[in-house]
Amino acid sequence: MRQWLCSSLTACILAGLVLPCTASADALADMRKAGRMLWGGDQEGGGPYVFPKENNPRQVTGFEVDFANRIGEYLKVRAEFTQGQWDKMPDMLRTGKIHAIINGYEFTRERAEIMDATIPYYVYALQLMGRKDNPRINSWADLRKGAGAARFKIGILNGSAAETYARKFCGGLCEVVAYEGNTDTMREVETGKLDATIEDTPIASFYAPRFRALRRIEEPVQRGYYVIYVKKGETALLQALNEAIVLMVRNGDLERIYRKYGIWDAQQAELADISEKGRFYGYFKAADAKIERNQMPTEESVKVDTRKRGWQVVKDYSGILVQSAGMTVVLSSLSFPLAILVGLMIAIGRLYGRSWLRLPLTAYVEFLRGTPVMLQLYFIFFFLPEVGVKVPAFWTGVLGLAINYSAYESEIYRAGLQAIPKGQMEAALSLGMSRVLALRRIIVPQAVRIVIPPVVNDFIALFKDTSVCSVVTIVELTKRFSVLSMSTQATVELMGMTAILYLMMSYPMSIIARRIETHLGLEQQA
Amino acid sequence: MITVTNLVKRYGPNEIIKGISLEVHKGEVHSIIGPSGGGKSTFLRCINGLEPFQAGEVRVGDHVLTPATSPRSDARLLEAVRRQVGFVFQQFNLFPHLTVLENVIEAPRQVLKLKRGEAIQRAETLLARVGLSAKEDAYPRDLSGGQQQRVAIARALVMEPGTILFDEPTSALDPVMAGEILSLMEDLAKDGQTMIVVTHSMGFARNVANQVHVFADGYDVESGPPSKVFGDPQHPTTKSFLSQSAKD
Repeated sequence: MRQWLCSSLTACILAGLVLPCTASADALADMRKAGRMLWGGDQEGGGPYVFPKENNPRQVTGFEVDFANRIGEYLKVRAEFTQGQWDKMPDMLRTGKIHAIINGYEFTRERAEIMDATIPYYVYALQLMGRKDNPRINSWADLRKGAGAARFKIGILNGSAAETYARKFCGGLCEVVAYEGNTDTMREVETGKLDATIEDTPIASFYAPRFRALRRIEEPVQRGYYVIYVKKGETALLQALNEAIVLMVRNGDLERIYRKYGIWDAQQAELADISEKGRFYGYFKAADAKIERNQMPTEESVKVDTRKRGWQVVKDYSGILVQSAGMTVVLSSLSFPLAILVGLMIAIGRLYGRSWLRLPLTAYVEFLRGTPVMLQLYFIFFFLPEVGVKVPAFWTGVLGLAINYSAYESEIYRAGLQAIPKGQMEAALSLGMSRVLALRRIIVPQAVRIVIPPVVNDFIALFKDTSVCSVVTIVELTKRFSVLSMSTQATVELMGMTAILYLMMSYPMSIIARRIETHLGLEQQA
Repeated sequence: MITVTNLVKRYGPNEIIKGISLEVHKGEVHSIIGPSGGGKSTFLRCINGLEPFQAGEVRVGDHVLTPATSPRSDARLLEAVRRQVGFVFQQFNLFPHLTVLENVIEAPRQVLKLKRGEAIQRAETLLARVGLSAKEDAYPRDLSGGQQQRVAIARALVMEPGTILFDEPTSALDPVMAGEILSLMEDLAKDGQTMIVVTHSMGFARNVANQVHVFADGYDVESGPPSKVFGDPQHPTTKSFLSQSAKD
């Protein structure tokens, strides 16, 4: 999985803004009181971590789901999965939206400085994979041979530990190509566009049945550890989690879960070593942990089937895609009227308001137009809670989009208002109207007619921009598409369905807009 | 009704009106003529407060506009003045999103707070008077220039202003339509409507006005009854302007 993107723009800007969190709430007590543990993960990461069930995409499954549920049983709380953007998990943890991150987060020194880590629950490594019918690569060393014209093309997941390793190992000697999806590279190797890929071992093992043309090359390298992260200073929770992990290592729970997903391998022996000897960063030894024989019944193993194709994909996933499209519709139809209203007020304020009002309004417009909507959503969702303002994810999306688009709408209205001849205001004033009355009755109604085409244009743009709301944990159409395509690899079919859904939503808008235009056009001056 | 005293209007360093006084009594028709750029339109716009000015004062009934009058803090004063002083523009300035009838009833409804029925009654009487009863439901863009100007006059009249200011009301019209508008204005004058008319129509100034003013270079260079101004012009500007107009 991806490494902590410490240098990402958002993180850096916000790190400067964020106040140090002084309150040291006891997350464990909190969890016990509420009877639930909220654990964060991103379904988009795909199998075998957390991914939509094949037969019911509304539910999640994966070894981390089983693991978290089992932990919940030991802690006597219900484990609840909380969807979020993978790289935003530390922020969700910090702002108390989740109690723990359980999502293939590797142990790194950098992360351990801002969060507390448990002992590992899985030992992963990097697996080199190539095509069965390609004899040119038989070892890691072969990657370094391809200098010159015949350089090998290696695919890796963008920002992952595999990327760091690949660039270090054979950076100048082969071409390293970064992909956005976990299994994209495996497909590219299969089709011959890439010569090899480097995957985390769980992914390589789990998806092996789906990519039968691939083979593993040599033993995995670069061992690493998946750990649970909790908020810094939550020692009671950390201790309880460590004890649960130790128990699960000792009684075989972990082995059973991992075998179920086909990801148990020899490397996992190290888990027992760590849990017994207690040699791990930040480890509080679970001295009193009783060894229990596990009561978990053996479960049927979860294996991926051959890739679904064509109408099967349409049949199985159109329901959930349509449902997610509903979220897109609700988000945009709540936020856009707000944006128009605020935008109009700003435009009027800038054109007709008192002079002291103009500078702040101009600043508002320039600031919101000049910064990404993602950052604004991020600010509302992750920064405002620090100063005591908690906005739920859904309203963050509505509000963020409305505020962002109000800046664009205000510029459109400004242009529309300015297009109304000066004589209109003069005629209205000459009849004894106040400026407010003249604006309301004469100027604005005319401006509104002029700006219909660009405003509709923006509405359609907003429709598609709702996809950024996935950074604040909202799952709308685009995010749902990503999630499903990562776990099913039926990208083409899902892409087509998603595109058709967007079109089905936006095209009627264009038609309605044209009708309104024609209708109002009758009243327009020639 | 209207008294203007030593009005001075500047745009930056340019002095457009260099101290003009004028007094209009009830029932009088004043015509302002003169070469382009003489400050005629600007003068008219100062009277109803569309333009601020730098010195002098404008007295409309009991209301006084001064250089200190601010469009914002003195909004009530300006609205009161404008309710007594109607304005007819060269470019008509009808509201394009409203029908003819809606154009006329808009201000009575919104400003005078008349009931809809009452406003419509007033409007229909006036539309009949300007000969446009049949066009009540038409939009401005479906009307000729002359028809639009007649609606604009009805729109000004419906507020029952003491005085109506006409800013070159026929300059954007062809001669036939201009003739229609001028005869309508003549009718209004006969009915005793007080008017100040900036115009290039020498016929109107000569035959309808009680007082004619010749504006040139920001001064009222010559004024008096039309018989005197047209029959025995004194100022050289008046002489050259009138002989030039006669050639047209």
